[in-house]
Amino acid sequence: MVTVSSCFPPALAWAVSDAREEGRRSQARMSEPAGQDPSERDAVDADLLRRIAAGDRQALAGLYDRHSRPLYATALRILGDAAEAQDVVHDSFVVLWEKAGQFSVERGTVFCWAVTLVRNRAIDRLRMRRRRSELLERSVPADLGYGEAGGGADERATLGERASAVRAAVAGLPEEQKKALELAFFGGLTQQEIAERLQEPLGTVKARIRRGLMKLRDSLAHRL
Amino acid sequence: MIDERKEELAALGAFDLLEGEEKARFGAELAAGRDAELRALATGLHEAASALAHTAPAAAPPAELRQRLLESIGEKPRPQAKVIPFPALIPWAVAACFAAAVIGLAARYAVLRTENRLLQEQQRIADLELRTLQSRLEGERILGEHQLADARLEAESAKREVAALDQKLKSQGDLARFKISTLVSMLGNTPAAQAVAVWDPTRQQGMMEVSKLPALAAGQDYQLWIMDPQYPKTEAVSGGVFQVDPDTGVARVVFKPGRNVSASRFAVSLERKGGVTKREGPVVLLSQ
Repeated sequence: MVTVSSCFPPALAWAVSDAREEGRRSQARMSEPAGQDPSERDAVDADLLRRIAAGDRQALAGLYDRHSRPLYATALRILGDAAEAQDVVHDSFVVLWEKAGQFSVERGTVFCWAVTLVRNRAIDRLRMRRRRSELLERSVPADLGYGEAGGGADERATLGERASAVRAAVAGLPEEQKKALELAFFGGLTQQEIAERLQEPLGTVKARIRRGLMKLRDSLAHRL
Repeated sequence: MIDERKEELAALGAFDLLEGEEKARFGAELAAGRDAELRALATGLHEAASALAHTAPAAAPPAELRQRLLESIGEKPRPQAKVIPFPALIPWAVAACFAAAVIGLAARYAVLRTENRLLQEQQRIADLELRTLQSRLEGERILGEHQLADARLEAESAKREVAALDQKLKSQGDLARFKISTLVSMLGNTPAAQAVAVWDPTRQQGMMEVSKLPALAAGQDYQLWIMDPQYPKTEAVSGGVFQVDPDTGVARVVFKPGRNVSASRFAVSLERKGGVTKREGPVVLLSQ
């Protein structure tokens, strides 16, 4: 049996075993643990992305494990079709794999970039399918479940703390702002289409989106 | 300074809701990077918007999706730039520079050789032109010499003409000062006798030609008399004696008086042989 130490000189053997230990620690961090603060979360994502840029397939798997649920949920919410949502998530992570080296932390977090990739692809597919009329009916469901702050205990456990926090922040917004943000993010609609859907003047809709998002930002900063 | 308008643009941009010129302007403003506050706002709102992904109804992707993804990236390796170690580049760089230099020098050599041929050709043409020019100049020189000789001849001829004309003019000038007088017969029996006298006052000599004057017996001469108005007639100056041809009656007399006279008239008298100092005989010819 060939061991590492017999393959490499001593210094290199130490470096290899050290890297392996780091990999084990990293895997422990991959699933989003409760209580992980945002800065550490973002740092882990950034580290994974650097490794992905270096060709580490396990790093891509780790990033997938951390964020695939909300990404898939977003794609599914927009498209209403599981197969298409899976395709969108798959394609988005392939892009992450190919362009990891081009990402710059100055432009935002890794999660923000992943959400943008998924949402843009999902909306493109949506528009291509021309199912606007169905979406308009489906875009404001009767109950998004924002009523409870963070949902029930089971859901909190499923969603993770961050998701719970976001939901709570959104639930704290005025209803008209919530609806405007909902349509803006999941609807795949233009400004005018959102205004028509909400039967409000365009300027009013823009103002609601502005105020709602500003409040959400401030609220998340507070909570997270 | 962030106003509500910019907040609105940033919020709409976070959802990719901006369109047309509004989108282009806002994108350009962010890309310019001059407003750090605006950029921070746009990033923060984008993060907040992305967080809405957590509000989608909970749904987990199927397990196969993960496997499918890992297989995909395994089949399609991520494009990576091939890094050639720097030291390995050096011999290639040197070879490339050398090849480039050789090609450049070869091209330059070809150009120079062509230019050289052209210059040589131009030189030959120039030599031909020079020889042609020289020949032409030689021909022109010879022609010029001939023309010069001709011109000289002409000049000589002209000179002679001028001399002749000058002589003629001089003669005409001389002639203008001569006194010419016609002498008519005073003899009743020889009315046809006449003489023409030409007197040159400058040289104080003259010439007379007599015609149809009868020949004289031995012991007689005809005598020419020159009359000067400043002296009385009786003091006419002798011009000498002469005889006529007995057959023709013609005589040509050249005369030069012994003193200066201002000849006004001429006369011929019949005198004894040898002449006289003062006229004694009859006047046979007299100036008109």
